[in-house]
Amino acid sequence: MEINIKELRKTFGEKVAVDIDSLQIQSGEIIGIVGNNGAGKSTLFRLMLDLIKADHGKVFMGDTDVSVTERWKDWTGAFIDDSFLIDYLAPDEYFQFIAKISGVDTIQLEEFIDGFSHFMAGEVTGQKKLIRNLSAGNKQKVGIVSAMLLHPQILILDEPFNFLDPSSQSAIKHLLCKYNKETGATILVSSHNLQHTVDICPRIILLEHGVVRQDIDNSQGQAKQALEEYFQTETE
Amino acid sequence: MNYLQLYRLIRYNASLKDERHPMFEKNRFMKFLILFMWLYYAAILILFGVTLPLGMKDTYNGVAAFHVLDGFVPYLLIVDFWLRFILQETPVQQVHPYSLLPIRRSFLMNVYLFRTGFSYGNTYWGFLLVPFGMIAVLPLLGWFSLVGWLIGWWLLFIANGFLYLITRTLCLQNLVWVLLPAALNGGLLALMLVPDQNPLDMPFTKMMYGFALGNFLPYLIILLLIGVLFWICYHQQMHMVYNEVGKKEEIEIKNTNQLNFLSRFGILGEFLKLEMKLRLRNKQVRTSFLIALGCMVMLSMLLNFTEAYDNEFMTNFICLYDYAVLGMMTLITIMCFEGNYIDGLMSRRESIYSLLKAKYYISSSLLLIPIILVSPSIMIGKISIWMNLGYLFFTAGVIYPIMFQLAVYNRNTIPLNQKLTAKQASTAQNIISIAILFVPIGIEKICVIILGDIWGFVLLMSIGIIGICTHKLWLQNIYHRFMSRRHYIMEGMRASR
Repeated sequence: MEINIKELRKTFGEKVAVDIDSLQIQSGEIIGIVGNNGAGKSTLFRLMLDLIKADHGKVFMGDTDVSVTERWKDWTGAFIDDSFLIDYLAPDEYFQFIAKISGVDTIQLEEFIDGFSHFMAGEVTGQKKLIRNLSAGNKQKVGIVSAMLLHPQILILDEPFNFLDPSSQSAIKHLLCKYNKETGATILVSSHNLQHTVDICPRIILLEHGVVRQDIDNSQGQAKQALEEYFQTETE
Repeated sequence: MNYLQLYRLIRYNASLKDERHPMFEKNRFMKFLILFMWLYYAAILILFGVTLPLGMKDTYNGVAAFHVLDGFVPYLLIVDFWLRFILQETPVQQVHPYSLLPIRRSFLMNVYLFRTGFSYGNTYWGFLLVPFGMIAVLPLLGWFSLVGWLIGWWLLFIANGFLYLITRTLCLQNLVWVLLPAALNGGLLALMLVPDQNPLDMPFTKMMYGFALGNFLPYLIILLLIGVLFWICYHQQMHMVYNEVGKKEEIEIKNTNQLNFLSRFGILGEFLKLEMKLRLRNKQVRTSFLIALGCMVMLSMLLNFTEAYDNEFMTNFICLYDYAVLGMMTLITIMCFEGNYIDGLMSRRESIYSLLKAKYYISSSLLLIPIILVSPSIMIGKISIWMNLGYLFFTAGVIYPIMFQLAVYNRNTIPLNQKLTAKQASTAQNIISIAILFVPIGIEKICVIILGDIWGFVLLMSIGIIGICTHKLWLQNIYHRFMSRRHYIMEGMRASR
């Protein structure tokens, strides 16, 4: 499913968080969003998920304006931070909760969870712990798995590689690519990890102070140099 | 930086804590209300301080007024003690942010304990005691005794503050410890029974007189007591800081299929389970619930087993609040706990509507408790079945819909495992929590005056039944209003997280 962003603006006081005239994301794309702290990555995602109000402009998922109806929630999965997790549930309870309210039955849920067994490495499901007692990495895993639970046509993950150990980072990269191939879902991933972003995203959007600074074609892995140049320059 | 500068800096930081709380900063009404209440109670205390000595002169034949007041030391200490549950924090949470800084933890703890001892709160009773002492002590014993008498009172309140800290910290670990202050209060009151012939022989009267006369012994006793309490507090709080730093509060779930019988209700069942787990697994939510439940039981006991409130007004009052208290105390913060995971809820379709329904069904089911609790009073004919039914349906069909309106206005997140102070509550919460105490009983009075006892209650019951039958409509209405204000609500919740 395609996403259209039109004249989207959001400011916090004097600070411009997002200022995008036009951005089109085609159905089935995996998009990487990169940028330094404060570039507006998370704010952009929150605007796309209607979690904050835009000062101006619209976000469309297909034909649906996300600020007008809740229909888009049926085909969108997202994980941004801990505020998506109900931390007094155990991971299994949380998955069951999300599954039930999304109309996924128990058998489907078990099959789905099995597909993530390598990623979760036996430390998330089957535990008698509450989510709040899990490590940051395992919380991150719960959030990512629950976002994908609906088999969403649009998947939005904010810094999914954070807190994960190297094996899990590798596993999630593989899972995202596989999911994209199998379902044709549109995936948006923000990250500070340039290598992972370049590895999985054929298209990378570089944000700076809320503005799209570069829209980089990475179909052949050519974005790495451009990104390194940009961030190197910033460091200097 | 020397210790004095450090002390000042820590004091300054602590004073900013409440002032810069997101809810307090945005809440001008609350600032005004707090100042108003502060002045209001100060004025009341001054009024008592001036009028009591004059009244006591006539009532207690020949005994100096301040001796009479001194006899009431236990009462004042008990009131002071329980008020601290609303107003005073434990130092553990305050020390935590400094734990990795190059400051000795023992120094920090001493700073916070000294702040507790020398806090302005311990001198607030001065609004009562200073004018009282000026009228009752000064003319009889002179300036020296007045100062000694006031210092004596102040030292008692300091000791009370440390005692509160000890018991409060224990209560945070296990609510059963609330029995300790209850027992201590009982002990204090028992002291009042020791000889009852001459007020001057009462232990507290003697002690306070000793303060006034500048006797060495009472000062030694109270200072020793403060020293011991300080020592206990210090070690207890230091132990708690280590616990807090290496906190590993883990609830082991025995069975993740708990409450699965609710699954038969589909999506609603999932939200019913969620609501139950919210109440069972989070300390703050559980404590609020248990306190509300305690109030309910207490009101029922008053109704069933005492005759002190056997007039028509009080019977009505107690019966109504017996039904309403649980909902009033738990629904005042409706959606505030959900602020912790509001983004997750808002990214699922119509989840807020299902959540509101679940909250309503659970709150209504809990009305079974007062039905059972007040049944002895119905059986002995103390309250009529009509009154009982009237208040039951009025609560579920009128009071609850009013409380649920707060879902649209509450926009502050309350941590699931920490205490809410008055300064962190929103304007709407404060207004409704005050209004809800008086409005229902007013409506009840009007109905009963106009229609008489039975038909008044039948009317209340009918209004309630209408509210219950239309619950889906008004919940939908609340849900739509919530959604139209969602960005504003979520912004507040995020800011106060």
